[in-house]
Amino acid sequence: MIDLSVNLSGIKLKNPVILASGVWDLPYREIIDFDRLGGVIYKGVSLKPKEGNPPPRLTETPCGVINSIGLENEGVMNFIEEILPTLKESNTAIFSNIFGESIEEFSKLSSLIRDVSGIEVNVSCPNVDKGGLLFGKDPNIVYSITKSVCNETDLPVIVKLTPSSANIVEVAQAASDAGASAISAVNTFQGLVIDIETGKPLLKRGVGGVSGPAIKPLALYNVYQIAKSVDIPVIGSGGITTYQDALEYFFAGSSAIQIGSAIFNNPLAPIQIIDNLKKWMERKGYKNLKELKGKYE
Amino acid sequence: MPPTYRILPVIENRSLGPYTYLRIEDPEMLLVARCGHFLMVGFSSSIDPFLPRPLSLFEVEENSFSILVKVRGRGSDLLSKTREGENLKILGPLGTPFNPPESGVLIAGGIGIAPLYYQSGWMKSGKLFYGTKKKEELILTREMEERDFTVKTITQENGGTVCDLVRMNKNDIEGEKIFICGPWDMIRALKEILGEFARNAFVYLERRMGCGLGGCKSCAVKTNSGYKLVCQEGPLFPLSEVRFD
Ligand SMILES: Cc1cc2nc3c(=O)[nH]c(=O)nc-3n(C[C@H](O)[C@H](O)[C@H](O)COP(=O)(O)OP(=O)(O)OC[C@H]3O[C@@H](n4cnc5c(N)ncnc54)[C@H](O)[C@@H]3O)c2cc1C
Ligand SMILES: Cc1cc2nc3c(=O)[nH]c(=O)nc-3n(C[C@H](O)[C@H](O)[C@H](O)COP(=O)(O)O)c2cc1C
Ligand code: FES
Repeated sequence: MIDLSVNLSGIKLKNPVILASGVWDLPYREIIDFDRLGGVIYKGVSLKPKEGNPPPRLTETPCGVINSIGLENEGVMNFIEEILPTLKESNTAIFSNIFGESIEEFSKLSSLIRDVSGIEVNVSCPNVDKGGLLFGKDPNIVYSITKSVCNETDLPVIVKLTPSSANIVEVAQAASDAGASAISAVNTFQGLVIDIETGKPLLKRGVGGVSGPAIKPLALYNVYQIAKSVDIPVIGSGGITTYQDALEYFFAGSSAIQIGSAIFNNPLAPIQIIDNLKKWMERKGYKNLKELKGKYE
Repeated sequence: MPPTYRILPVIENRSLGPYTYLRIEDPEMLLVARCGHFLMVGFSSSIDPFLPRPLSLFEVEENSFSILVKVRGRGSDLLSKTREGENLKILGPLGTPFNPPESGVLIAGGIGIAPLYYQSGWMKSGKLFYGTKKKEELILTREMEERDFTVKTITQENGGTVCDLVRMNKNDIEGEKIFICGPWDMIRALKEILGEFARNAFVYLERRMGCGLGGCKSCAVKTNSGYKLVCQEGPLFPLSEVRFD
């Protein structure tokens, strides 16, 4: 019997495959069987609804996508009253992803959210003018935000990091010191696409965040560095589309993984990764994920 | 009926005017497809191109459906070259379908004929105003006439644009429901030309899409009541709702 379950500082998941924040919404339940997933992280919510950036907001890049959505969302109360009860119909761990423009907004958000498996703190969005990765680059600010969130809630707190910081290990350490239960690494990489017909950026906002297979080796390197330096579990994110990608993340030290843009390319990727991971472990004689984790070291 | 995600084989690839007509084997589409639906069409076992392409349903038959592809960039070029027997990833049907009137006016610019041709199959009769750049690009005019549509065409190499055609025939449009599909500039110009008739007009919109399923929020269009997602609330919108600023 293969045991795919994981325990992230007390957060128990039936398997390590989590749907990443911002790439899915409720209609996806018709295509992906959420009951089979380790967990799902809802898109970033803010205190008040945000309308997002002007379009175009997303386009394809080589082996990936670039987006500048700008956290379009209906606000935290809509999440609590409308979205969460619906998500609860599924038998999977539900996480909320929160976004604030100040430390106070992060505290307020975390005081409102109840009844989820954990809160993922988004200090890594590249597509906003305030907060986002501007916070996430600075270990001191990340420490303060994490601390105030942990003070407001008894729920496990996961801090999602940006690869744009000068020293991501330092930022991860700051989150851990402030009481985070786990680190998500990484959010999208800042990038640019230019429309040669106009000579101007194709995305209306200009820069955006790149995700998908194109960023996998870069993201994996970040995960590896963090996992060998901090004690709390790391949830790997960046370019995972197959079980082989997932295995690389476990070997590099991830305890769980997030599937993001892959679902655009193949909505069944998360389920196929779970099935194929199990088959591979069976073939290779592994019994649980602990035996894989951090083998690189 | 909820959409499904399936890998399905191409069973026919031929030219239709300047476009590629792809027929895909599928016994189920006929049961679920309705007027206004579109699909996300992806490249089997490929991460480059990474994203599927949004394409309208063109025809739906008992054991197959078809799409009409205009080559614009890399993805549509690859699609136009798929061979019989090759698989495509199909997510759909997507969008919010609608019940078209028994009769009405269709205004097509170029490849905009694709969803309007599908729509005409759900109607009893009507009028089609249809403009392209060149004469060879005018397709399906006979088939539209067989569907009891009065067809008026124009080409840029001979006469002008579909906007000119509409301007010249405004009397034919009065009191009718109007459905438009074509480039953004054409839609914007038509809004002006239609004047008060624009209140009865609906438009198929195109936006860059990541998921087609309301997940990524990339396909936003500005409307009088804020941003709306083309893949969820569209692709058809009332023309008077759409903001062009
Ligand atoms: C609801 C809907 C229905 C459509 N129906 C049809 C149809 O029936 N027949 C047809 O030929 N075309 C249709 N289109 C347009 C078609 O999706 C684009 O022509 C196609 O995506 C271009 O891809 P490419 O790889 O050739 O271009 P590239 O420029 O290489 O594509 C790069 C990225 O930009 C996106 N993109 C580029 N141009 C467009 C565009 N005009 N609209 C939307 N996304 C774009 C692509 O999907 C891709 O993600 C439809 C679009 C939408 C939104
Ligand atoms: C369209 C889009 C929207 C996203 N929105 C969010 C978000 O709201 N909050 C967040 O923390 N990350 C967001 N992300 C980042 C993803 O959750 C993920 O971390 C990133 O895309 C890298 O993983 P991937 O390569 O598997 O997509 C978004 C990514 C995309 C492509
Ligand atoms: S294409 Fe993803 S939300 Fe519309």
